[in-house]
Amino acid sequence: MAKIICITGGKGGTGKTLIAVNLATLFKNHGFNVLLVDGDVENPNTYLLMNGKLENSSEVSFFEPKIDEHKCTKCGLCAENCISHALLYIKDAIPIPILNVCSGCKLCYKICPTEAIIADSRVIGLIYSTKVNNIDLLIGELKPSEARSAVIVKALMEKIDILLNDKHEKYDVIIFDTAPGAHCDVEELIQRADYVIPVTEPTRFGRLDLLRIIELIDLLNKEYRVIVNRSSLLGFRDQFLNELNDNDIQVLGDIPLDEDIVKSYCIGVPLMDNHSRFDTQGKGYKSFQIIYENLAKWSGIKT
Amino acid sequence: MVIIAVPSNGNGGLNEQMNPRFGRCPSFTFVTVENNEIKEVKAVPNHAADAMGGAGIQAAQIVGNNSANEVIVGSLGPNAAQSLSSLKLKIYQAPNQPISVKEVINLYLEHKLQLITSANVSSHYGMGRGGGMGGGRGMGGGRGMGRQNRSPF
Repeated sequence: MAKIICITGGKGGTGKTLIAVNLATLFKNHGFNVLLVDGDVENPNTYLLMNGKLENSSEVSFFEPKIDEHKCTKCGLCAENCISHALLYIKDAIPIPILNVCSGCKLCYKICPTEAIIADSRVIGLIYSTKVNNIDLLIGELKPSEARSAVIVKALMEKIDILLNDKHEKYDVIIFDTAPGAHCDVEELIQRADYVIPVTEPTRFGRLDLLRIIELIDLLNKEYRVIVNRSSLLGFRDQFLNELNDNDIQVLGDIPLDEDIVKSYCIGVPLMDNHSRFDTQGKGYKSFQIIYENLAKWSGIKT
Repeated sequence: MVIIAVPSNGNGGLNEQMNPRFGRCPSFTFVTVENNEIKEVKAVPNHAADAMGGAGIQAAQIVGNNSANEVIVGSLGPNAAQSLSSLKLKIYQAPNQPISVKEVINLYLEHKLQLITSANVSSHYGMGRGGGMGGGRGMGGGRGMGRQNRSPF
């Protein structure tokens, strides 16, 4: 059974994607079958850090009520029962769908006595599935201007369910890379995870957003351990780690500022890739090794 | 003959103040005008005033169900604007100041109101502010430490 590890963190730009990609790479290096899922559907960019491409797309559609004017008896039952008030009904007139408030629940479609509501749909996003460096990659993308990002995340989860229910299922580890924030997209991913890793940095912003995401993780009753990225920033490392300790927040490891990490980020080759030519004695490299060891121990994923 | 809907305070009526919010006004005053004169006045409570969401759409429904052809608004949110446009109602902009229903109808009769075609505020504008007249977009303040239970962080 595949173990699901969720890389998250309230704050943007803390290094979630960097860590997700490098942990996926480390698991692959150790002979595991890895699926990496990019759940930051408003800014899917995990593939960029691996020099991958967006390919093999499938569409994610969203329900849109359309009214068959010949069948509609103008009874108003649909509008009366629409919880989002997405159907504008004036007596003796055909209801008008106000699509941007429609939740997609299809109640109108189901209850119309004359079947005058047609279940139309529009494409609001895409799911890509690709493979880079022997890591399977699943990427969700919400189309710009669309609001319902959680629908894309749900579609990603459905896709994973299909993969996991397949009797040829082969994954040992599934790594989620979430969006920043503590909203429903992130919640959906954490909910599915066995182990949660919030990534933060030793700044006031990092601290505040970490506490927010921990609040969410606690609500969902999940185990978590923190990674402190850019830990050497301005010399706050020890103070920050102590503060986490004082608050009973467990730490999986920390990653200091490191030029190799920046380089790997810019050229799109994961630092921990076997074929990368980074210094295996570098402080970034070593910190990832320590984190991997700790994670393997914590999650029980071992060779 | 034309019926004009005006979002109003209290139970509505010509002498009541106009309410600057379309979706969440307490009442609508419907004024029937013929030959540039007020013929009839009717007030209807706005049951959408406290709706969780979709107030603009429900308010537009009330306006439509009372056969209004035109509406005068202070602020108008996006869903309300879309709803009123789909009902093909003419939308007039009231001046941004405290004004009674009667005064704004007089401005209308003097052709001093401008037609608008789209929303002029975002969703849920003006909620939880007690609904006074006159705009004023305050600069938000508030410092606060928040989450004290986790301190000394």
